[in-house]
Amino acid sequence: MAEDLVLDTAIRDWVLIPLSVVMVLIGILRYFVSKLMRSFQVPDPKIVKEGQVIVRARNLRAAANFIPPKSFRSRRVYFSNEENGLLFVPKGQAQNAQAQMFSDPNMAMDMMKKNLSMIIPQTLTFAWVNFFFSGFVAAKIPFPLTQRFRSMLQNGIDLSTVDVSYVSSRSWYFLNLFGLRGLFSLILGEENATDDTQRMMQMSGFGFDPSKSLGAEKDGLDIVQHEWALPKFEHRAEAVLKKLVS
Amino acid sequence: MVSKTEETQLNRLENQVDNGGGGAWEYLCLVRKLKVRRSEKVLKYGLSILNDSRKRSALGPEEWTLYEQVAIAAMDCQCLDVAKDCIKVLQKKFPESKRVGRLNGMLLEAKGSWAEAEKAYSSLLEDNPLDQVIHKRRVAMAKAQGNISGAIELLNKYLEIFMADHEAWRELAEIYISLQMYKQAAFCYEELILSQPTVPMHHLAYADVLYTLSGLENLQTAKKYYASTIDLTGGKNTRALFGICLCTSAIAQVSKGRNKEDKESPELHSLAATALEKDYKQRASDKLGLLTSALRSLKT
Repeated sequence: MAEDLVLDTAIRDWVLIPLSVVMVLIGILRYFVSKLMRSFQVPDPKIVKEGQVIVRARNLRAAANFIPPKSFRSRRVYFSNEENGLLFVPKGQAQNAQAQMFSDPNMAMDMMKKNLSMIIPQTLTFAWVNFFFSGFVAAKIPFPLTQRFRSMLQNGIDLSTVDVSYVSSRSWYFLNLFGLRGLFSLILGEENATDDTQRMMQMSGFGFDPSKSLGAEKDGLDIVQHEWALPKFEHRAEAVLKKLVS
Repeated sequence: MVSKTEETQLNRLENQVDNGGGGAWEYLCLVRKLKVRRSEKVLKYGLSILNDSRKRSALGPEEWTLYEQVAIAAMDCQCLDVAKDCIKVLQKKFPESKRVGRLNGMLLEAKGSWAEAEKAYSSLLEDNPLDQVIHKRRVAMAKAQGNISGAIELLNKYLEIFMADHEAWRELAEIYISLQMYKQAAFCYEELILSQPTVPMHHLAYADVLYTLSGLENLQTAKKYYASTIDLTGGKNTRALFGICLCTSAIAQVSKGRNKEDKESPELHSLAATALEKDYKQRASDKLGLLTSALRSLKT
């Protein structure tokens, strides 16, 4: 049943645009509020040290060919030694990191604050959209969709014969929610608190990060074959000087 | 370290400001960005901006950064009252600031009251145990008091936590050299080469230390590193060229009994000598005679 419904332009003026504007404004408000509420996070010495160890190990891997083989080997042992090597993380400790994160009161408070600043505006806006802007067709999606999307996109519209491309304002809300991320990074700069999806991904992967990267560095270091590049340099220096002198 | 273009830009600005052509603020910003130590000029031009209330208000929020910069420059030139005034202004504006606390500690250091400065720094460190600048200031204090071994200890402890800080490694290497602990200095230079493999200065310093340590293996390694310096600087580094000649003759002397031929680069020595002569002819032709006689004595 592909008939074309004619949608009133008043819908565009009074639904789509105000909804977008409101969401942008709420996003900006959230950004400033999160800036105010952000507590200064005291860097944990252990985490700082681990970060620096990783940088040093990475340098070692990258420039291994520039130092004599003996020094490289001694450094590699220093890093990946079984007993007290810097990169060696015993199995038991790796699990602890995440448990510790949840029991640490400060970090838990921090996460809760971030969660709240995300959830409350979302819930309120959603309720507002539902209350005011339901029961009518808001927009037409330019590409055809299957019938499965009907329940998701056409929630307020109780006619089952309307083409699935005609959606309610709820779907416009969701579209804005995910789509305005790009706009916010333009307006507010890189660091804005509207990145919900990224934050959710970050939270799940946080606990493992330090110990996993240490393990990864250790593996990388074990693989490296030392091939001393310096002898080549003598030849290159010769070539350079020949050119210079001639 | 400052690159060549930045250095020329800095000198140009400096000349411009010296001859009264304005642009003092850009000069000060560049000095701050490059972290060079031109305290007299900074003091002179910074004070001229700060004392003129119109120019001061034109700076806006940058005014406080300028106060900090001028305070540090004043301490370097031992104009302690100027420094004290600047710090007082900053303290009034930012009463609980760590940066101002650090400046106070530096002022105590400049006055020479080491114990009080140490106390100030320790209390700052208690609140903020990971402040890199304060750790470094403590090392500088130990060095200034002549307590070199204490400085080494503090620096080592600092490097245990912040091991990716290459400036600290460089400082440690120089301290070790001053104490003739060459093996440890070599280790530090290796760290520097690892973190910045394309900077020729590290290769050169490492080669110098290896040459000083002597011993056949070290001499051969030193020769290789002099060669890499030549490669990285395009043959323009005079010290590396000399290094090659000295290394070759030292190797020949050490392995006089053994028949160890240097198969890798037979011509390097003569090429380096020719390059040196060419360089001297261009830049210091009156010393050319000295050079040729020195090189001849090396060849034997």
